[in-house]
Amino acid sequence: MIETILAQLVNGLVIGAVYSLIAVGLTLIWSIADIPDFAQGGIYTFAAFAAYFTVTLLHFPYFFSLVVAVITGTLLSVTIEKVCYRPLRGSPFSQLLVAIALFFLLANLAIFLWTPKAKILPSPLEGIILNFAGFSVSLQRITVIAAAFALFIAVNFLLKRTKLGKAIRATAQDPETATLMGINRDFIYTVIFALGGCLTAIAAALIAPLYAVYPEMGTLPLLKALVVVVFGGMGSFIGALAGGFLLGLIETFGAIYVSVAYQHGFAFIILILTLIFKPGGLFGRS
Amino acid sequence: MLKITHFLKSKKTWFYILISLLLIALPFMVSEYITYVVVLTLFYAMIVSSYDLLLGYAGQLSFCQGAFYGIGAYASALFSIKAGFPVYLSIPLSVVITALVAAGVGYPALRLRGAYFAVTTFFLAHFVYLIFLNEVWLTNGPLGLRGIKPLEALGGIDFSSTTNYYYLVLVCFAASIYILYRTANSNLGKMFISVREDEDLAESFGINTSLYKLVAFVISALVAGIAGGLFAHFFRLLHPSTFTWLTSEMVVIMTLVGGIGTIFGPLIGASVVMFILEFLRFAPELRFVIWAVALIIILIYEPRGLVGLVERIRRVKR
Repeated sequence: MIETILAQLVNGLVIGAVYSLIAVGLTLIWSIADIPDFAQGGIYTFAAFAAYFTVTLLHFPYFFSLVVAVITGTLLSVTIEKVCYRPLRGSPFSQLLVAIALFFLLANLAIFLWTPKAKILPSPLEGIILNFAGFSVSLQRITVIAAAFALFIAVNFLLKRTKLGKAIRATAQDPETATLMGINRDFIYTVIFALGGCLTAIAAALIAPLYAVYPEMGTLPLLKALVVVVFGGMGSFIGALAGGFLLGLIETFGAIYVSVAYQHGFAFIILILTLIFKPGGLFGRS
Repeated sequence: MLKITHFLKSKKTWFYILISLLLIALPFMVSEYITYVVVLTLFYAMIVSSYDLLLGYAGQLSFCQGAFYGIGAYASALFSIKAGFPVYLSIPLSVVITALVAAGVGYPALRLRGAYFAVTTFFLAHFVYLIFLNEVWLTNGPLGLRGIKPLEALGGIDFSSTTNYYYLVLVCFAASIYILYRTANSNLGKMFISVREDEDLAESFGINTSLYKLVAFVISALVAGIAGGLFAHFFRLLHPSTFTWLTSEMVVIMTLVGGIGTIFGPLIGASVVMFILEFLRFAPELRFVIWAVALIIILIYEPRGLVGLVERIRRVKR
């Protein structure tokens, strides 16, 4: 009994780490650029495939594939911002439509290129099992959680302690005044999209060995990360963090104690409840 | 009298008469397969033109038309299979259910604006898909719902033939387009536009914006429900994968390709998209890729879609 609960706790934290990683990037992009960047779902898939091909085709070690995934994700995210979102700046309606069209495009492009079949990304960490007083867990799972926390500390440092972070926060607060103070808005947008793509790619490459690599793998994590952004409070770093882990835990425990079939439906219920009772989100203003 | 002569002199009138005659004569001119594709196109045409009322007039972006299509289809099929109702009763009942679901979800969701609302409807579409997939006792899950009765013969007309069913769908299509067109050009349509243009301003004039948004949402769901019901007894096999978020996305693509806020534009969009999809059947994923790219290009360069493109060409000619 206690083993099951502990095992599910670890699973919940692993899934939660993925949601949080994507949500942190999304909440930055959504609050600053005013785009719910659905394209991150496609970036997630493409980053995982980049990692997969680095390991299986080029026979590089798994750790190197993480780097390739991050480069792929970051470049893709920045390119999308430059080519698709920038010409439409000022009309959030069209940007939202383009974001969803990109999500649709990348998912179908992945099916077209690599067929819907699920693929396995081998990782040396998955084979190492750690034992804590009779309770065992693979090193890969520990790595996902640890890496997520390390990244959150790094992002927090970037936002709170550096000059660049100050510029990002200033743009979030008041884009016009920030521009008047000499902050290059285009550059800030590039930075937040790069950051978002980077976090999404790391999440994808870290979790891929635990599940599988397939074209539609990005759909559900993306939708859940969007819910986390609303649930945690728009633009709130800590909200995205806490909301992601909370949703991960609710899903894994809900799957055991409520219903496995509707594991992916809990987020919808949370979304509706948040919107009715606390539209500002857990850590949101208002 | 003057009105009638004006009506007859207008080029537009003759264009519509020509289109109507073509649609009526269609089953005699083309193969049964093409007729079949046209019936499917008409379902989508109904969905997109009603969706245009929501997107183009009331300015609300939603991603769950596929779900309403599915609810209409499954509800009607289940009423006729499990309860043994005649199809003439099961389709109206399914439409009522679709409208109730839309009102139930739309009421809390429409208090949100723009992207929040869009994300919520996206999730609704996924949730409905999960119900179709998982409630095996009701929907037969991933095996698909089989043995759906065709529409009962009425006055000696057998509706199990594609041609006869085509005429029935055509009548429903024409009626719904007429009603939608009248609604869009009525006071109600003006209210929708006021919500689209500036919600805060509309509210300050005493317009109950949440109510009008809800009305637009329910109308669009209702027509999608009718199309769904008609689809169920035409195709006679329902599978959850027909009603995923991809279906909703295709509805959005068709509407935008045609040109929003025109009711007729999306009809052109639906026909063009459906027929090109049929022709590219040999490469199923590639066709979605093509349409997604087309949508992005349209949004960046010609946000008014095909209607806007036609107008632009006309202006260049002059």
